[in-house]
Amino acid sequence: MVERKKIEIPAGAKVKVSVGAEEKFPFDISPMYEGERIRKEDMFVELGGPKQVKFELVLALPAEQVEDMKVTLVGPDLDEMQEGKEYPYAMIYYIAGSKVETDLEPVIERRNHDFQNYIEGYMHLNQRYDVWVRIGKGAIKKGLKSLIQIAKATMMLYKNELPFIEKIEALYITDKALVEKLLKEVAMPIYEERDKRVEMLHDEDVQEFYSCTLCQSFAPTNVCVVSPDRPSLCGAISWFDGRAAAKVDPEGPNRAIPKGEVLDPIGGEYSGVNEFAKQESGGEYERIKLHSFFEFPHTSCGCFEVIGFYMPEVDGIGWVHRGYASPAPNGLTFSTMAGQTGGGKQVVGFLGIGINYFRSKKFIQADGGWYRVVWMPKELKERVSKYIPDDIRDKIATEENAKTLDELKEFLKKVDHPVVKGVVRKVDGKKITEGWPEEKKAEEKVEEKKEVPATPAAAQPAPAMAMPMQPTQMPAFQLPAMPMPAPQAAPAGIKLVIKDAKITIGKIVVKKSKGES
Amino acid sequence: MTTVAVTGKGGTGKTLVSALLIHFISKKSNKVLAVDADPDSNLADALGVEVEKTLGEIRELFQTSRDEMGTMNKEQWLEGKIYEAICECKGYDLLVMGRPEGEGCYCFANSLLRGVLKKLTRHYEYVVIDSEAGLEHFSRKTIDSADYVLIVTDMSKKGLATAKRIKELTKELKLNFKDMMLIANRIANEAAEQRIKKFADEEGIKLLEILPYDEKVVELDLKGIPIVNLDEKSGVYRRMSKVAEVFLKG
Repeated sequence: MVERKKIEIPAGAKVKVSVGAEEKFPFDISPMYEGERIRKEDMFVELGGPKQVKFELVLALPAEQVEDMKVTLVGPDLDEMQEGKEYPYAMIYYIAGSKVETDLEPVIERRNHDFQNYIEGYMHLNQRYDVWVRIGKGAIKKGLKSLIQIAKATMMLYKNELPFIEKIEALYITDKALVEKLLKEVAMPIYEERDKRVEMLHDEDVQEFYSCTLCQSFAPTNVCVVSPDRPSLCGAISWFDGRAAAKVDPEGPNRAIPKGEVLDPIGGEYSGVNEFAKQESGGEYERIKLHSFFEFPHTSCGCFEVIGFYMPEVDGIGWVHRGYASPAPNGLTFSTMAGQTGGGKQVVGFLGIGINYFRSKKFIQADGGWYRVVWMPKELKERVSKYIPDDIRDKIATEENAKTLDELKEFLKKVDHPVVKGVVRKVDGKKITEGWPEEKKAEEKVEEKKEVPATPAAAQPAPAMAMPMQPTQMPAFQLPAMPMPAPQAAPAGIKLVIKDAKITIGKIVVKKSKGES
Repeated sequence: MTTVAVTGKGGTGKTLVSALLIHFISKKSNKVLAVDADPDSNLADALGVEVEKTLGEIRELFQTSRDEMGTMNKEQWLEGKIYEAICECKGYDLLVMGRPEGEGCYCFANSLLRGVLKKLTRHYEYVVIDSEAGLEHFSRKTIDSADYVLIVTDMSKKGLATAKRIKELTKELKLNFKDMMLIANRIANEAAEQRIKKFADEEGIKLLEILPYDEKVVELDLKGIPIVNLDEKSGVYRRMSKVAEVFLKG
């Protein structure tokens, strides 16, 4: 972690210091000024913005190092600036308090945008190294003389609105060389550190997840659960976005979901999430496992970027993204599968996800994660390539390796993909699939392919189906590794929920009845 | 804030009306936002200004770069980009909505956009929107609402039919505007004037102004000169100045 310490002001720099709260400000302070655009024609000066170096930063420090309500300004103040010109700008706040932690820095830093926009005649845009401030001519006319007044007003708002901030001190800089130097040496390493946290932060590190019901107008029973390890299906909302939105509007489309008890650490099942899902789906779903493909998978809205599909013939999972128009090896296109799965349904065998879920360390971990993945379009694979473990990357086929199930089988056998001999899931070392039954059968099928290329398995002679289905005895839904005829479309209209069951099966053959086509 | 949405069938003079409205209103107020919400027209050309980026382009940029934003606040990112895209013209700001969205999910991007635009527009005294006849931005709520809906039509059958349809559409969309008005354009003779008056009566839409057929407008069009350079003595110019007065009075 980058060390947090006060910034040393170079000797000989032009410095202005002021300590203590301001009695009166020559400007109004109110949320009604939010969004106020100061037009170029009405602008006194621009600070930061597209043409100058700039940044803003909040640093949490031990209480004894922070001098409350002190402002230090390094560089020219407003009265030394020329009307209509742009200047470099850095706003640094040191904060202290018994509840103030380094983790809170970015959250507190974002509020600078809100608070400064409450100031009449002051426009604040963007964040981090992009901040863009304009001060209106009107504000100067009304008596604004110094950036110290701006800093004092902002600090006052910080303390009023976030009472856990016990002490706050500001350092504002308009000196170009110093802004440049500090941006490079202090601010950038801290921003980078924060972004790395996105990948470091996991479900177990937080107390709350966030919901997203933005697309319930399309998918009324869909509940997106956004956790550090699972972004929204549309790919747009991360846990950090959820948190930001929930803070602004706690009753809005992104609400906090207290995690509750951990029910299944591998599948990602939490009592709080289950309760929430039940409530928000109108009782449609009672359980959701965040990192499971087969067991109580997350619902799929219709907005998802990628759909995953189980292929029983190879006992593996394929993924196809919206931009890939050709059929996947199962003979279905993205839109066909999406049509079957979308609308906020929990469909075992299909799963909609956001592309950045591929980055997750918990990516369908209950079902083997990457080691269960057998196929994805080249474009998609390249996009997420660096998140695929080295020992499996080359074993995942693309359309260049396989366009049909038979080609896929050949490929997987050739590269010795884990699904062939059985997948061991990394998270707990448990062997979760048995591998393909007999090599011979697979070969037979290849020959038959020439006659019926679309559904080779269906043409295979099979003994009449005898399925000892005893719904009271099956372990939670585990699709057995068996040659199953490829369905023409996704399983339609049938929902099979088997609870607390145990079934011992020697062999299952599912056969299409002759009347169907 | 007074919001005027100018709409009508493409080619009837909708952009001409929008541009001249902006021209006149911005002479009286320095807080005017012009919004080009019709991807098929070009309000910027009519005003004689250049626009670097459209909102549509920003939305696409958001879709492709959002995965790399780390812990940055996406709403503030989007807001910053929109403010950068707003063209600061003499006397008014111009925002071009651009192309409609591509494939994929825009729920989140549009939800953020709505929030940003709502906060932005409330600080202007006048917002003039050049909108295509389908009123897409209103139905998607990227633009919140309008106080006045101005329907522009010429005497063509299609123009009148579109005017009728817009009237129905505003009902469907529950746009709670204060008033809906009609501007008839390219009315060449007395007979046409009578016909348009009858149409307005039958449809129950207030006929705000009748713009004559104007050779000077045609000339500018042919030469590609911005319409705001229209001769101040021309009939269209003088009558549009009267139209602007209606809104300036509020």
